[in-house]
Amino acid sequence: MSFDSNAFLIIFTGALIAISCGFLGVFMMLRKMSMTGDAISHAVLPGIVIGYFVSGSQRSLEVIIGAGLLGILATLMIDWLRKKARVQLDASIGITFTLLFAIGIILVNILAYKVDLDQECVLYGEIAYLPIDSWITQSGLNLGPRITWLAGLNFVFVSGFIYLLFKELVLTSFDENFSAVMGLPSKGINLALMSIVSYTTVSSFESVGAILVVALLVVPPATAFLWTKRLIPLLRLTAIMGVLIALFGYYLAYWIDSSIAGMMVTVAGFFFLVSAFIHSKKPSWLSGTSASTQPLELE
Amino acid sequence: MITQAENPILEIHDLTVSYDQNPVLWNVDLSLPAGNLVGILGPNGAGKSTLIKAIMGLIPPTSGFVKIFDKPLNDVRARISYVPQRESVDWNFPASVLDVVMMGTYGKLGLFRRPGKKEKELAMQSLEQVGMAGFSKRQISELSGGQQQRVFIARALAQEADLYLMDEPFAGVDMATETAIFQLLRDMTTSGKTVIVVHHDIHSAMNFFDWLIMLNLHLVASGPKESVMNEEMLRKTYGGKLNLLTRVTDLIRQKDFNPLKG
Repeated sequence: MSFDSNAFLIIFTGALIAISCGFLGVFMMLRKMSMTGDAISHAVLPGIVIGYFVSGSQRSLEVIIGAGLLGILATLMIDWLRKKARVQLDASIGITFTLLFAIGIILVNILAYKVDLDQECVLYGEIAYLPIDSWITQSGLNLGPRITWLAGLNFVFVSGFIYLLFKELVLTSFDENFSAVMGLPSKGINLALMSIVSYTTVSSFESVGAILVVALLVVPPATAFLWTKRLIPLLRLTAIMGVLIALFGYYLAYWIDSSIAGMMVTVAGFFFLVSAFIHSKKPSWLSGTSASTQPLELE
Repeated sequence: MITQAENPILEIHDLTVSYDQNPVLWNVDLSLPAGNLVGILGPNGAGKSTLIKAIMGLIPPTSGFVKIFDKPLNDVRARISYVPQRESVDWNFPASVLDVVMMGTYGKLGLFRRPGKKEKELAMQSLEQVGMAGFSKRQISELSGGQQQRVFIARALAQEADLYLMDEPFAGVDMATETAIFQLLRDMTTSGKTVIVVHHDIHSAMNFFDWLIMLNLHLVASGPKESVMNEEMLRKTYGGKLNLLTRVTDLIRQKDFNPLKG
């Protein structure tokens, strides 16, 4: 088979998105906030529409800022409902993101004549059109697909964020009270994480859509966590799985002529089910939770 | 019966803490001397954990204030260490014992900086102190309850603080470990540190602590062990649980009682 540059670009972009989402998803999972990622990915819609309306362009900074603000708003709203109004976490997530998403849909309808955006595009995305949407500079230079650049930029942001704030992210995920006593800005770190999840959602929605972003946030980390209990291998495994699902997702979709993003998530789900099945068959001594206690001895 | 300390390391003034408008701690006013092993005693729901969380600013007080080393909390965070209840975290977290103990050094490191050789040595030293050096590479999901507790104490030691606040560090810990940990806390206070421990066992409290705080929504007593450990104070703290009280007063009468020999 000859080298197919379109296939390569699609797989490369899909893998970048899957790895970015997976890295963030690992920390969301460790914070027991996987579903908050779901909420954010839907709640950014009004922000996208407003940003689009204000700037008149789908590719503007306003869209990203709008989405970021809405993502933070969703996080704060969930937190407020849970802590102050004493609504259960699952209920407050359900209320927040459906409400914000519904507002977004109404905005899309109201502004339909001014905004070239529809629910289909936001929900499903289409990575297959990526090679024909090139970033062409004013002098006419073709720099390659725009979405690949977006995904690459996003990947750099996500990796940089996690690299710089690694120890803070780990500590606040494991023991928030302890980090608060130390004086680490745990609330700020949490909001920063939520903002970058919002940003990732926006920069991926054109290619994989809001629903499938959620799957990329949740499934690879959950699968990797079945295989390892160490953090660095967990991140590594999540990344490997991101590449694999982009690869298999593309070729399976090509083969049965279907949606690439849909196939990527189906492959991810399949990996997860197989892992869960193998894990459930694994003898208990392999996961070993009950090590013998040695009495403490001191002088 | 409340004894105020001279040159206190910790002062609490008229502290009231509420959850949803329901006060769970009323008007607590006390001060503690440096270099003591301090026990906080009281029945379930007396506000023991709430008190130490309020001291560390984890729960905002409704009224009153706390001063540590004669300064507001934010100025002295680096000198305070906290051992939360073991159940407050998920032990399935992907981290090794050493990773968790190193977390104690993060406060002094500050943002963006990574722990290096010095921090690692400090963490290993802390693990040695609690007798867990051989477990440094073990994943925390593979530890028993007592080992988890020791890891938390090692993490607090790695903070190199002057004031330690521990929430029920002896819950679910066997007798041998309890004695060993108490010995460790004793050594820490001898070297000038102050350790405040939320505790529920009156028997061992009599043996181990220098200073006792008795709490039941209100502050019942705060003072040196000898002056506050008596029937009247216990009755005020634990209410009319007579069965328990007679047993405890019997124990107090047997001066040479040692629960560890039994």
